[in-house]
Amino acid sequence: MRVRNFAAALLVALVLISCGGAKQADVIKVGWFGALTGDQAVWGNNEYNTVKMLFEEINAAGGVKVGDKTYTLEAVGYDNKGDAQEAVNVVRRLTSQDKVVAILGPNASGNAIPIAPILEGAKVPDIATVATNPKVTVLDGKVKPYNFRVCFIDPYQGAVAAGFAYDVLKARKAAILYDVSDDYSQGLRQFFVENFKKYGGEIVADESFKSGDVDFRPQLSKIKAQNPDIIFMPYFFKEVALSANQARELGMTQVLMGGDGWPSDQLISMGAAAVEGSYFVNHLDYDDPDVADYKARYFKKYGIQTELNGYLVHDAVLMLVDALKRAGEPTGEAIAKALETTNIKGITGTIKISAQTHNPEGKDAAIIKIVGGKYVFQQKYAAK
Amino acid sequence: MAQFLQQMVNGLSIGSVYALMAVGYSLVYSVMNFSNFAHGGVIMFGAYFGFFGITLLKLPFPAAFVLAFVGTAILAVLIERIAYKPLRERKAPFLYFIISAMGASIFLENIIIATIGPTFRTYPDVFGRSSIALGPVAVGRLDLIMFAVSAVCLTGLVLFVEKTRMGRAIQASAYNMKAAALMGVNTDRVVMIVFAIGGMLAGIAGVFFGMKYTVYPQIGNITTKSFVAAVFGGLGSLPGAVLGSILLGIIETLVAGYLSSQFRDLIAFVILIGVLVFRPTGIMGKTTEDKA
Repeated sequence: MRVRNFAAALLVALVLISCGGAKQADVIKVGWFGALTGDQAVWGNNEYNTVKMLFEEINAAGGVKVGDKTYTLEAVGYDNKGDAQEAVNVVRRLTSQDKVVAILGPNASGNAIPIAPILEGAKVPDIATVATNPKVTVLDGKVKPYNFRVCFIDPYQGAVAAGFAYDVLKARKAAILYDVSDDYSQGLRQFFVENFKKYGGEIVADESFKSGDVDFRPQLSKIKAQNPDIIFMPYFFKEVALSANQARELGMTQVLMGGDGWPSDQLISMGAAAVEGSYFVNHLDYDDPDVADYKARYFKKYGIQTELNGYLVHDAVLMLVDALKRAGEPTGEAIAKALETTNIKGITGTIKISAQTHNPEGKDAAIIKIVGGKYVFQQKYAAK
Repeated sequence: MAQFLQQMVNGLSIGSVYALMAVGYSLVYSVMNFSNFAHGGVIMFGAYFGFFGITLLKLPFPAAFVLAFVGTAILAVLIERIAYKPLRERKAPFLYFIISAMGASIFLENIIIATIGPTFRTYPDVFGRSSIALGPVAVGRLDLIMFAVSAVCLTGLVLFVEKTRMGRAIQASAYNMKAAALMGVNTDRVVMIVFAIGGMLAGIAGVFFGMKYTVYPQIGNITTKSFVAAVFGGLGSLPGAVLGSILLGIIETLVAGYLSSQFRDLIAFVILIGVLVFRPTGIMGKTTEDKA
């Protein structure tokens, strides 16, 4: 009796071990981290839900073929509460304990910057989602070997705005007003100036203010005297509304342009008629037909609307799957190498990773126009 | 030329905002001999009183305006009773007054952040955002109204100080509070009236500032500029405060318009320091006593 029981137990155990062993060989573990609690929890949950949904869809369709073998994908997600210290801890856990081959996220630049040394030690690549600070992938002019991102960097918006203003709006004389005490604003201004001049346009006025200023009329009067075709305003909605109102008060009728610091309900309520007919650059538009399918699938599964983060993590998953297929073997090193030559069409635009910067180069941005107090998608536009 | 005229109008408009704030500052200084740093906080409250009067209580603009300056007058008197009177009675050194004023200022800012929140708010459009074109120069409608109201308030204040009994009591207390008290002036009441008037002016300044720009808990920071303008014009002198403010507004605008907007504060303040080096009492200041 006792012997038979023991034998049965042994058999069960053996079966379990072999099953487990066989299963392990066919699964690729992919890490994700971000804020599932705290201020940014909405975005973190949105990303993690998207990753889980896409992995389920991929597995249901037969998985991913890497080399000669077909694998299913498993997401291992951790909450870093939006904290930079915690980001380092969870990446350490993902790489040493869970042995993931790649990591998706985080969305915040501040959390993506400190994890580089751990990624390099473990040789595991990371694809950040909405981390737009240039330092996420390049530090002191050197590219970080295991850090990638799927979004364009902040200053690139300046290049997009310059191209759109010259090409589509046919502006030849541009004026700029920017916030001299803000990195974001300075970066956009620099790229705008460089690109607008490259196209053959002329910068007729280049004026600045400091965060906290509320009166821009001295600068605007100076700009008015130069009679530009457009005015580029790369800063946040509060100052945009104030400066737009003051420009109109001074009798200026120029088209205004800006970046992703613009969209907000406050801009419309405060800027009202002053920003009507203005254009700004954004990562994507929710009404763009390319994103409609993902948007509908997400809503069907979770019953809530997806956020901006969801669209970008969607394309991060596409990037990873594409790299896995080309990597030949499911190891971090091989995936990182494959990621460097990424050139795919995502729902947020064409993603062509540059080996020098690990940023998607020439990615499409969405151009939005304010019409009748609403944000209306115009077209996609990529800087050359 | 058109740009120069426009810049002068801009400068006058910015200067008149400083002037409304600087006069309240200067008035309290002339009697109390210390810089009331809580003035900025009172201005900020004025902006919020007016804002909530219009949006929450649905008052017509004149009623909300009155609510705002009556509210800030009461607030300013309360601050005096709680933060300064105990120090006055104990004859504390002036440094203590300044520290108490800073405490009050930080308290006012943070109570707004804690209860109403740190985000900015926008006044509904009362006078319209359009401007009046005088040839090539555009003058904002709100600027004109603000200018008229400020002129009426400041003239009224000067008349009050020059022509009434209470005004003479204020002048006497400003000259020498101890002697005024010995002559039978109720200096405690004088102080209260001075704070009430300063508070009213702060409320008016706050409402106009909020309408012209936005309402946010750090509005008080702008009083740094009006404080400097008051010193420039001569602390304690009401016409000096107005003149200093208008000059500061115009200097700032001309520097931003013709040199560089980045050097605006730098050059404006170098000029101010230069004036004070050669004329330590400011343009219209009278006394040379050491007053902090």
